[in-house]
Amino acid sequence: MNQLLKIGMSVQTEDGARPCQVQQFLGGGGQGEVYRATLDGAPVALKWYFPTQATAEQRRNLQVLIAKGAPTTRFLWPLALAVAPGVSGFGYLMPLREARYKSIVDLMKRRVEPSFQVLTTAGLELVHSFLELHSRGLCYRDISFGNVCFDPANGEVSIGDNDNVGVDGETSGGVLGTPRFIAPEVVRGEAAPSTQTDLFSLAVLLFYMFMIHHPLEGSKEAAIRCFDLPAMTRLYGTEPIFIFDPADASNRPLPGYHDNALTFWPLYPQFFRDLFTRAFTEGIRDPLHGRVRESEWRAALAQLRDLIAYCSHCGAENFYDTAAGQNAGACWSCRRPLRWPPRLHIGKQVIMLNHDSRLFPHHLEQQRLYDFSTAVAAVVQHPSNPAIWGLKNLTGRNWVITLNGGTIKEVEPDRSVTLAADTRINFGGVEGDIRC
Amino acid sequence: MPKLPGGELASRPLHFIWIADCSGSMGVDGKIQQLNFAIRDAIPHMQKVAEDNPNAAVLVRAIKFSNGAQWHIAQPTPIAEFKWLDLETMGVTDMGMALTMLAEQLKIPPMSERALPPVLVLISDGRPTDDFQKGLNALLGEPWGRKAVRLAIAIGEDADYEVLQRFIGHPELKPLQANSPEALVRHIRWVSTAVLKSASSPASQPREGGLTRLNVPIPAPPEPGPDAAEDVW
Repeated sequence: MNQLLKIGMSVQTEDGARPCQVQQFLGGGGQGEVYRATLDGAPVALKWYFPTQATAEQRRNLQVLIAKGAPTTRFLWPLALAVAPGVSGFGYLMPLREARYKSIVDLMKRRVEPSFQVLTTAGLELVHSFLELHSRGLCYRDISFGNVCFDPANGEVSIGDNDNVGVDGETSGGVLGTPRFIAPEVVRGEAAPSTQTDLFSLAVLLFYMFMIHHPLEGSKEAAIRCFDLPAMTRLYGTEPIFIFDPADASNRPLPGYHDNALTFWPLYPQFFRDLFTRAFTEGIRDPLHGRVRESEWRAALAQLRDLIAYCSHCGAENFYDTAAGQNAGACWSCRRPLRWPPRLHIGKQVIMLNHDSRLFPHHLEQQRLYDFSTAVAAVVQHPSNPAIWGLKNLTGRNWVITLNGGTIKEVEPDRSVTLAADTRINFGGVEGDIRC
Repeated sequence: MPKLPGGELASRPLHFIWIADCSGSMGVDGKIQQLNFAIRDAIPHMQKVAEDNPNAAVLVRAIKFSNGAQWHIAQPTPIAEFKWLDLETMGVTDMGMALTMLAEQLKIPPMSERALPPVLVLISDGRPTDDFQKGLNALLGEPWGRKAVRLAIAIGEDADYEVLQRFIGHPELKPLQANSPEALVRHIRWVSTAVLKSASSPASQPREGGLTRLNVPIPAPPEPGPDAAEDVW
């Protein structure tokens, strides 16, 4: 039930240039209400503030954000301020979130069931988006699972509630964040939200996405009877202990209480777990220098996605761990022994060559890191012998391969090289070798 | 085959309990009908709040008092399945008895040792006719009674504001005064959504404005005044 605007009424962009028709109430929050509206005939979202929230400061902040423009298309960024004759306060227009996006809350409740491939893509998109935001001198202040949505089909993210974004270091106004995501030093009242505290919240959100659990909720949480504000302040502020802290076992997850943490944690490669460990040990002790930066997460998530391999028995996605050596272990789903597919090693990168694996400029060109726009290679099956798999050259130039015996051949565009152990491929700029 | 292992995010129960005055005076001027309407109207919004909060499993029930007290909806019901049953009026205002019965149910067991703070909402239009203090003592004698977020809605001018304030037990938080059906709807909505949200998985915390000395960050209650666009247009 909406309280602020009437369906069918018109509001105007602040410059008075464009009328906007209010069509449908979408939802209310702590700061105001969101409506579906049309601007020049195109659908948009309109947020209107409660009178107490429609402050001059909020208005100024929005004007700054509108002038700066969206860091990337993944942000539902304020487009224009909106006012209405006879209605107090103001609102702002932003792109309307498409229905295909689901919230992280849906993932927590298991109402959506993305693959690990999608999950890592969503993580990658998320950290990349916040890297772009932070690099513009802005901080988000309220990273939490209510504000981020993703497409369970492909991992594309959509980040909303951007009206709390502000210039880093400008501490007046705004929000402190969402409990469970707020950095410990903010919980303790020692710091204001900033880019550095965003990094903590981002790590919490990633941990939630990959473990469906909170990184600080272990035996100390289990011992709390009434989970109220003083308890939360202790757990997330004054005594924050990572549940997998290698140096402090006082807050380990407990079976029956924290099963997701116990289930998911061992599935991931050591380097990924190490990053979380750093984020919630050094990252808590030293907020300024100890936190894992977005670019580190981005590199780790890109590598993590390349390490996904399907169980040859049941098809479940498992992660290859270079640190585990020859010990492949068992599939988490069917418990049968894992057999890894061929792998391509390019420098420090390892890419599992699954039946559907593809390479992108990210893998082959130092200058085009994180460019996943167009595939430059794809795993394919031999047209007449389905037992043979190859890597198809989707670039416009020849690759040079060196076979196990030392023979050198060229692989022209649209031709494929068989996935055989110890084949070296020179892609032009970089060289990789296939290991089985 | 599931694509991911594990299950839902671990959550804690959050007990939400309506404590409703069904004395004879609630039958005057359609007050009980207004209350039934306001609670019915709030249910889908409670469901939405619960849907968006993965940290809490919201369980709702209701106790009523008039001549004595009785569980109206005794079973703690998951909010997604909760259906309101209309209240009817008769007799006097045995509010103390209701609190005593409530205290029984807040013992451990039947309550679990680990939970989110319960939310207790007392709604009344009159003065208790029994020993209110005895009931309140019983309630506050239970750890979950003390830890609970206790809120009160006073319907009309004859409600015993002082008694409701004692139930709340916190000077910062006042009984909500509902002198009109609109105000009742607004207050019921606020306790069942904004407060529910705060007690389970608080949303973004404003730097200022919340009632921060409580054990649950209760947002500031809605301000009275025009609450619909119709009032403006």
